[in-house]
Parts: sequence; structure tokens; C-alpha cells
Amino acid sequence: MSAPPDSGGRSARGYAPDFLTELFRNPLDPGYADAAARRRESPAPPRWRGTSGRAVSIVVIAVVGFLFAVAYRETVAEEPSRDQARAGLIAQIKQRESETDQMTVRADRLREEVGRQRDAALSGSQAARLRNLEAGTGLGRVRGDGVVVRLTDAHPKDGDAVSGDSDAGPSRVIYTDLQKVANDLWASGAEAVAINGQRLTATSTIRSAGAAILVDFRPVTSPYEVTAIGPGSMRDKFDESRAAYLMRRVAKDTGLSFQVRDAEDLTLPAAPEPRLRYAEPSVSPSPSPSGSATDRKSSPGPSGSGTSPRPSGGVR
Amino acid sequence: MIAVLALLAGVVLGIYLDPTVPAALQPYLPIAVVAALDAVFGGVRAKLDRIFDDKQFVVSFISNVLVAGLIVYLGDQLGVGGQLSTGVVVVLGVRIFGNVAAIRRHLFRA
Repeated sequence: MSAPPDSGGRSARGYAPDFLTELFRNPLDPGYADAAARRRESPAPPRWRGTSGRAVSIVVIAVVGFLFAVAYRETVAEEPSRDQARAGLIAQIKQRESETDQMTVRADRLREEVGRQRDAALSGSQAARLRNLEAGTGLGRVRGDGVVVRLTDAHPKDGDAVSGDSDAGPSRVIYTDLQKVANDLWASGAEAVAINGQRLTATSTIRSAGAAILVDFRPVTSPYEVTAIGPGSMRDKFDESRAAYLMRRVAKDTGLSFQVRDAEDLTLPAAPEPRLRYAEPSVSPSPSPSGSATDRKSSPGPSGSGTSPRPSGGVR
Repeated sequence: MIAVLALLAGVVLGIYLDPTVPAALQPYLPIAVVAALDAVFGGVRAKLDRIFDDKQFVVSFISNVLVAGLIVYLGDQLGVGGQLSTGVVVVLGVRIFGNVAAIRRHLFRA
């Protein structure tokens, strides 16, 4: 960028010491001034040059207008396609979720059917033992009194799982919060735990995928309700646990909400049947039905994800 | 007057023809628009200063668009795409502002 010709009699060419200051002071291309000065010095150019130059600049102006129109159309055309893609994805997710729900309902029905048939086939005490085992392992629906722990994001926006556009926004509950709460509920004596209606079993996982939290690979969203059935002392024990202490601190600092309340007559759904691919039941039909949870080996999480809360001794 | 008509003709042509921009050129479109705006406002100001020059206008437009595109391309290749085009927008934006201020002084004497 050369200095303007009127700056203190300096010659027109030469770099200004401070480019930005010069830019602010004299934004016009100095070429115009140069051209004007040249015209003053030399006689007018031949007539044909003047007209052809004029024509070219008119063409350029038309090109500029063309460019504006194209850019405008391009921007306008891009917007709906992006929205459409997002809406399509959301619709797909919703549809798949409802499909899964339907199939889950069907599976539940079939499982109940199986249970009935089995009860009919087995003797009374055996059937009762089986039902107890199912309830204990999370494969059967259970009822009882317990506590409900409710965690809510700071500003409950409808953040969807697809777009991460609510990141860096208000404070959100993260998957480790749910893990800690679930673990400390187990540690406080809970016998059955569910998160937003997803029953936790020995192989359940709580993990994050992007901005979403997945419990057993199904997304759960705020508000998160961790329900647990257990003894009457569970509430007090949990209130004194590390998770409750930590979450209270977090809630105070960041504005997300954390509530613990007693609840009566909770019903926790059954967890889907785990598909055991590697572990096979060893055939020694003599486990004592009254075997306490600590006797059993706690099974590790599936495929080494390492984030599964373990029902027995799951405190870390 | 002719210039305004030419601009309108270009806009109408753009709407009428409705060309599709190839995907490879799409990132350069916004920056080309800013460069074109700079050239246009520079030309208008020069006109009002009575030092307008056709050759200067044409050359400044073409070189503005090309250099802006080149910088965006370089930025993409160097992995600093966004930042370099921000630099282009800032410099051209400053020039546009200055020129518009000069045009305003010409038109309203204020």
C-alpha cells in the first residue's frame, strides 16, 4: 500500500510505515489518485480507449451484481437443506425409538407369557425361586418402597442428541454423575435400580456419546430419575454418601438440580434379557437360593467398557 | 446511472439463470462477495471524488476477488482456513467502512 500523494509532499510510491494506520486513514485504493494524477499530466487518452474501458467496467459491475445474486441464492438455498437434514435425522431417531419401544413391549409380553407357562410347568417352590432370582438379577419387574433421586440440567432445554449446539451452554448432568449416584445407591443397600425407567443389571452400562447419555445403549435425557428399591435406611445412607455430597456441591455451584425423596410403592420394569455370548451357565444346580449378593462374583461390564455400575460392591 | 442499471441487470441475470455453484468454489463465494463490495464502494467513492478510473476499477475488482480467493485457499491448505479469511474480511471491512464514510461525507456534507 503506497502513501497517498497528499501526505506531506511525499512521493506517491513507497510503503507506509504503519500499514494499519494508513488503511484506516485512507481506505481508497491509491491507484485512483495515481490515475487521476497521470491524467492531469498527460493529455486525454484516445477516444476508443475511453469507451472500451467504460464498457469493461460496466461489464464488471454487471458481474458484481451477478455475484451478489448468486451468493444470495446460494446462502438461501443452503439453509433449508441443512434444516431438512436435521429434521430428517430427528424423525428417524424418533421412529426407531418408537419401534424399539414397541418391540420392548412385545418382548415384555412374551416374557410374561414365558413366565406363566414356566410357572405352570414347574412346581410351586421352584417357580418362586426362579421369580426371586429374576427379580434379583433385574430380569423381572419388582415393586417396593425406596428413593427417587432426581437430577436436572441447569436450564432444561430441549437439547437433542443429534446436534451438539447446546454445548458450552448451561451446566449439564454428565454420565459420571449418574454412575456415581447409581453406585452409591447400590452401596446403600438398594436391591433394584432404574434410570428413567431403564433397569440396571449386572451388565448395564452408563456412558456418554457426544452430548447424550446412554443407559444400556438407550439415550436418556434430562430430567434424570434414578429410582431405587431398598431398605428404609437406604435414604439416610445415600444422603451421607460421597455421590450425594458431591452432587449437592455441584448443584450449589452450577445450578443444576439434585433432589432425593422417599417414594412408596415404586414399580421398576424388567431389564431386557442379556445376551451372553461368551459366558455359559455351568450346570451345577445347587446354588443356595438365599445366597447373598456378596457371594456372587460380580460380572464385569460388557466388552471392557469399564463404566458399568456393579450391583455388588460397586463403590469405586 | 448506467452503473446502477448494469448492477441491476447482473442481479436479474443471476436470478434468472440461477447457476449452481460447484461445491469446490462454494467456500470462496462469501469472501468474493466481500471483495466485490470493497471494489464497488471504492469505485463509488472515487466517482464522487471525481477521480474514477475505469481501468483502475476493473483491475481492483479482479485482483481483489482473486487475492481474497487465494488467501482463503492458502488458509485451507495451511490448516488455518477460518482465521485467514477472518483477516481478509477485517481488512476489506475496514476499507468498506472508510469508503462508505467518505461517500457519506460527500452526499450529506456531514
